[in-house]
Amino acid sequence: MAKLGPVTCAGCGLLCDDVIVEASDSALVLRPECRLGTAWFSERMSGASDGPLATIDGEPADVQSALARAAEMLRGARRPLVHGFGGVTVEDARAAVALADRLGALVATDEGEWSGGPAIPLRGASTATLGEIRDRSQLVVIWREDPESTHPRLLERIGFGGNGPRTLVVIDDVDTATVERADVRLAWPREHDLEALICLHMLQRGLAPRADGLAAELADELPALIDRLGAVPHVTFVYGDGLIGGPGGQRRALALHELVRALCRERHAVTLELPGAPGNRSAEDVLAWQSGYGGNVDFGGGHPELATAPLPLEDVDVRLRVASGPAGSRVAGPDGEVWIRTAAAGVEAGGTAHRLDGVPLSLQAPRPADAPTAAAVLSRLLGELAG
Amino acid sequence: MTSIRITGGAVHDPANHVDGEIRDVCLKDGKVVDDVASDARRIDARGMVVMPGGVDIHAHIAGPKVNAARKLTLDERRGDPVDRTSLLRSGTGGLVPSTFTTGYRYSLLGYTTVVEAAAPPLAARHVLSELRDTPMIDKAFLLLMGNNQVLFELIRESGGAVSPRLRDAVAWWLDATGGYGVKLVNPGGVELWKQDNGNVHSLDDHVAGFEVTPRQVLEAIGGAVDELGLPHPVHVHANNLGVPGNADTTLDTMRTLSGRQAHFAHLQFHCYGGKPDGLPRSRAPELLEWLASHPETTADVGQVMFGPAVTMTADGPVAAMLRDLGADKWLNHDTEVETGCGIVPYRYRASNYVHALQWGIGLELFLLGKDPWQVMLSTDHPNGGSFLSYPKLIRLLMDRAFREDQMGRANQRAIRRTALFDGLDREYSLNEIAIITRAAPARRLGLRDKGHLGVGADADVTVYHDRADREEMFATPRYVIKGGEVVVEEGELRRVDDGVLLSSHAGFDSEVSGVLEPLFGDRYTVAFQHYPVRDPALREPARVVEARVS
Repeated sequence: MAKLGPVTCAGCGLLCDDVIVEASDSALVLRPECRLGTAWFSERMSGASDGPLATIDGEPADVQSALARAAEMLRGARRPLVHGFGGVTVEDARAAVALADRLGALVATDEGEWSGGPAIPLRGASTATLGEIRDRSQLVVIWREDPESTHPRLLERIGFGGNGPRTLVVIDDVDTATVERADVRLAWPREHDLEALICLHMLQRGLAPRADGLAAELADELPALIDRLGAVPHVTFVYGDGLIGGPGGQRRALALHELVRALCRERHAVTLELPGAPGNRSAEDVLAWQSGYGGNVDFGGGHPELATAPLPLEDVDVRLRVASGPAGSRVAGPDGEVWIRTAAAGVEAGGTAHRLDGVPLSLQAPRPADAPTAAAVLSRLLGELAG
Repeated sequence: MTSIRITGGAVHDPANHVDGEIRDVCLKDGKVVDDVASDARRIDARGMVVMPGGVDIHAHIAGPKVNAARKLTLDERRGDPVDRTSLLRSGTGGLVPSTFTTGYRYSLLGYTTVVEAAAPPLAARHVLSELRDTPMIDKAFLLLMGNNQVLFELIRESGGAVSPRLRDAVAWWLDATGGYGVKLVNPGGVELWKQDNGNVHSLDDHVAGFEVTPRQVLEAIGGAVDELGLPHPVHVHANNLGVPGNADTTLDTMRTLSGRQAHFAHLQFHCYGGKPDGLPRSRAPELLEWLASHPETTADVGQVMFGPAVTMTADGPVAAMLRDLGADKWLNHDTEVETGCGIVPYRYRASNYVHALQWGIGLELFLLGKDPWQVMLSTDHPNGGSFLSYPKLIRLLMDRAFREDQMGRANQRAIRRTALFDGLDREYSLNEIAIITRAAPARRLGLRDKGHLGVGADADVTVYHDRADREEMFATPRYVIKGGEVVVEEGELRRVDDGVLLSSHAGFDSEVSGVLEPLFGDRYTVAFQHYPVRDPALREPARVVEARVS
């Protein structure tokens, strides 16, 4: 049995870099154990990526022909879209944004339902790396997320199960694995989240919320939560699409950050956002430094513009889906489809990825492969377009 | 590579005692040379001013803090889009431009080298990635070490003295990250901020949990940098930034580092008299007096310019102070083991007493200082204003009538409390401008090939029209030459140069890894073996400057 590591696991946004992989023909075991990580490594180390390096309209093709065809499709595109970014590295994202700039493309790092746009530019935020939360937060509130399923080692990595008193509050009306870990569980329907945040903010300021609605239903629970938050010097809110996804998401995010800002006057309070998919944070950060904008960006006018409305996807005629690993990079349009296999970052190729808290980490290549990285494919594609 | 003869220009090369002489400057293979062949490209610089390329010793241009500021300040960049061309990448400008635009705009201003002044070592990969996307300039970054828990442990172990282990640890960190120098920001105070919104207020306050004081951090790390002989001395953002009365802390900090090489960042923000809860007054003359009697000490000014700014700092409590003054937007980010970060968009108003006083104190530092080699130009971009305001700042220094006009628009109660009110008539010469914008920063950074035009220097040259309007002159160089190639002509970018990373290296005992690894294990959430950045794609191309005594 081959023993590899410690290596960085890019199976979720946590990027745990203490992982030992024990692989044989019949089994793959991760230490420390992680269901998601095991599946992620298994898929990339099982040989499932054997097969053609590229296809054109589903037929095997050599990479150069595929690149030439992809370039032809993109060159003829009226409204290209660059999206996906599954499992990508910083290097992949740099190449993708360079290509999008050249194409005048739309770039989507967030393809969820329109939430109203990012909330950070409205009032800011207070955030911290995992180590800060682990070492300082006595109270963690997880708001409508289930990291036990999506980021299985999150609780361990922010100190639960370790030394010291620590309280986990979970706000969710759905029974999840994370709810089972909660010391305190609060539940109300998702449509009441904004109201709950406003009530908490009012209570924190010593004001009385309206005597009806959620405040009345949770007349004991919400003040008790404020008391808990006020009783310790350091608190953390963990959130994600469960709170801020979809219509009205921007307002809920803003309300959360306003609450945290108010709490910060008397204690240290921070937030931690769980990304929708691995690779998201790397792509968002690269897009921000190359374009100046955090969010979906349109290069169609010759310069970057922040998307302030749902992306006009109905206008898109050619899509470039960027991904690292088995999914490969794919160009699809009305005249066909090109797929080019890319090396799986973190298994077949190295690179840099940004953890969900922004910390950049190295990815290793415990089983290097011949397939080009997504960055290499996109750079060659840019070369084809320039040529 | 191209050979160039710049002919007939008035050369200002203060490092080589050349003050406006009409002489040729010859460039070949990226270096200044004695002579070039007759078929070399000739640049007719008659009626023009020739200087080495500009060197910015203190700015914030790359890394997680800068990128967070981009995300926070979308609106102010919307009005400043930059179109892609066949040569250039698109981007956005404003106070915190996107990376490519940052490089382009520095180049268009005649700058060829820029130092990112505050990088968390843990984020070195991010900083290096952004710097790779910042073309046209050579770039370096300073590592934040003033609130590093691992170093606190070593300082506690040594009782506050410089120890071989501490020296080795500092050198290890530079080696592990590609950093150029060491920055101390509010030593001890940021750790307390992250604990429970605390801070230190004097150099002898204790940092809870670590049994160290800011004075010990200054002595131990400043001493380690000095003993290692790094090309740039310890770069200090002193405690109590922005607090009325902080001049006492600054002088105490200077006394603590006395006898050691040290650079004080954005001194303007540390020059205040008064009481902490009252209005500030200027104590710039006292600090200048200290500088004059301590040639081992230098500073950059951190001039504030009236108009918009974005404050961004590792000094979390300072940002919280601005938040509590009513800031609309506030961003805080705590980085484990090492540092903090606070960002607040801001506006300096001429009518505001404090802002006008800050403006006046900055000009006092420039105009009352005896030795321009000791007091260098910076706005602490973008904290005091954008680097794009350097031409206006230069005009304020060179043109008394313009300065007095601007003074007349500022809060008069504040101006009356500065030496400006006494009718300071000093006007900087072109040579003095060359000192504070290139020669002195390059020398202080230990960049022997930069900031001058002697044979063997980097062929980084800026040629300006000699215009009476100094703001216009310095805003639009006629030519900018980077690495021996013309990259800017008449306000247009003609060629893209990637620039190189400037790193430093000091020898250290590799056994220090055995000391650091257990200290890392308890604190970081990144494995010790994965912490160093070794990837050639991030570390190269680089020029490594060796320490004096490694």
